[in-house]
Amino acid sequence: MFSVRFWGDRGSIPCPGPATVKFGGNTSCLEIRADERLVIVDLGTGIKPLGDYLMANDFKKGPIDTDIFITHTHWDHIMGFPMFTPIFIPTSKLRIRGPVSYEDDTLESIIGAQLSYRYWPVRQSELSADIQYDQLKETQLDLGDGLTVRTKYLNHPILCLGYRFEYQEKSIVTAYDTEPFKNLFPTDPEDPTYNEDAAIEGEAVAKEENEKILKFFEGADVLIHDSQYTQKEYEAGKVGWGHSSYEHAINSGHKAKVKNLVLFHHDPNRSDDQLEELEQQYRAKIKGKTPMQITMARDGLCLEA
Amino acid sequence: MVCPMEALVSDEAIKKIAVYIKSMPSLPTTVAKVLEVCNNPRTSPADLNQVISLDPVLVGRVLKLINSAYYGLGQQVTSLVRAIIMLGINTVKNLALSSAVLRNLSSRKDFQALNMEGFWRHSLCVGVAAKILAKKRGIDPKQAEEYFTAGLLHDIGKIPLNAVLAKEYVIAVSVSDRERISLYQAESKMLGVDHCQSGSMIAEAWRLEGAVGDAIAHHHNYLEYEGPYKDILYSVVLANRFAAIMEIGFSGNRFPDKIEPVVWEYLGLEKSVFMDIEDTVAKEIDKAQIFLML
Repeated sequence: MFSVRFWGDRGSIPCPGPATVKFGGNTSCLEIRADERLVIVDLGTGIKPLGDYLMANDFKKGPIDTDIFITHTHWDHIMGFPMFTPIFIPTSKLRIRGPVSYEDDTLESIIGAQLSYRYWPVRQSELSADIQYDQLKETQLDLGDGLTVRTKYLNHPILCLGYRFEYQEKSIVTAYDTEPFKNLFPTDPEDPTYNEDAAIEGEAVAKEENEKILKFFEGADVLIHDSQYTQKEYEAGKVGWGHSSYEHAINSGHKAKVKNLVLFHHDPNRSDDQLEELEQQYRAKIKGKTPMQITMARDGLCLEA
Repeated sequence: MVCPMEALVSDEAIKKIAVYIKSMPSLPTTVAKVLEVCNNPRTSPADLNQVISLDPVLVGRVLKLINSAYYGLGQQVTSLVRAIIMLGINTVKNLALSSAVLRNLSSRKDFQALNMEGFWRHSLCVGVAAKILAKKRGIDPKQAEEYFTAGLLHDIGKIPLNAVLAKEYVIAVSVSDRERISLYQAESKMLGVDHCQSGSMIAEAWRLEGAVGDAIAHHHNYLEYEGPYKDILYSVVLANRFAAIMEIGFSGNRFPDKIEPVVWEYLGLEKSVFMDIEDTVAKEIDKAQIFLML
């Protein structure tokens, strides 16, 4: 059994309220199960209900032992950590890994800074769980029991990793937060800052980097992709913010022959009604054009790879 | 006629150079512009690319970062355009800023033996000429940037010599003048280390292995070079000659070696090419000068 369950799929900030009841308002948190192994991706506010679930179920069978991968250290992806109950249990073993940006502090100090008296009544040094931190780059890790993970740098304003988990020839891939690489150099010769070499090379680099990302997705059983905006919204002032459009996520998934695409990292202003409508619209648009299934992520959704 | 990599090297000098390289400051010519461009929240990638491109130390530092184990990338990145697209404008901006405002910012008086503006112009000229020669020969435009970088950085080893062994370097330059020998030979005679050797230390510290590192290390002993980047190395050697003949910039060497015919033959170029590219190179340097408001 290789599956992923969604505990938080909102981008930027938690947004509880009557308009987000169906899809949920927690920020990103995934629970991946490879038979007995538990992997968590991101420590957004979804980690709170996941922690409660683990204490009520897994903990009865034995101590919590898990690998946690952080996609990047923006606040919405780490802010749930202080409320993750297993960190207060002495028998818990947590291995937390993720990227940190150049010249930043260590992963431990970035995540742990939230546990200081000015923000929280408990300090990091008071946590009783056994927690190990590791900084990650582009790499491949063998997590044991046949479970592996490969990482890939994405395109976000800070260093951000996508993860490709593989188990028994099945794959679950994350690609958030990210937007397509693009040529950042003017291609119009009339532009006063135009430089022919930079324009040509910029085009080639963006193309190559986007191809590498597609290769990373290739044949994924489940791809969980950033889709904070519609293409129209993206083009109307969100370029460079580090998030993708539904259209880009769908096209990429299709090109990479992905089986199940999950649209993820919903904009905090997107209501349940809007998400349902968008889901229907995009399903209708791709009907008959691709064998790929698309689903809007929602809290509680569980997919088997 | 080789860089004496083995002889005469003073341990103390090497130690001093190594310490200096660790916090090597940016060239003062460009610092004000770097600060202006990087402090502007609306700076475009094109502006950032331009301001960094004009400073051999900054180019080196950005490439060092992207090639460091820190990012763990499989490929060697030698172009700034790629670095900005991959790392993002913010990271590159921060890096340029931190490099430009390092506490021991090199000041104009640090350039005792070398004239700072002359050095900058020479470096830029060799970078631009190497790139234009490559384009003339039909080299893939995607690779042209690497020719530029290799040319821009080829003499970078002179910076620590000039800063750390300042008095001795003044003597080395005058010995080169008096004895009519190339500066690297005078350096080796007077300092026990030449700029190819200190340049290699920088290349190693900045992880500029490959074509750029080889151009830094071997632009004076190119005849013995048997590595895989002969095309770029020879282009830099020729561009260096071009800068000397056309007297564009000055990096302390009044008696540069003549280059061997094998360089022309290998690159398939005639001597008339210098006349062909003169205008284009001059225009590129002028553009840079206007940008920096020198």
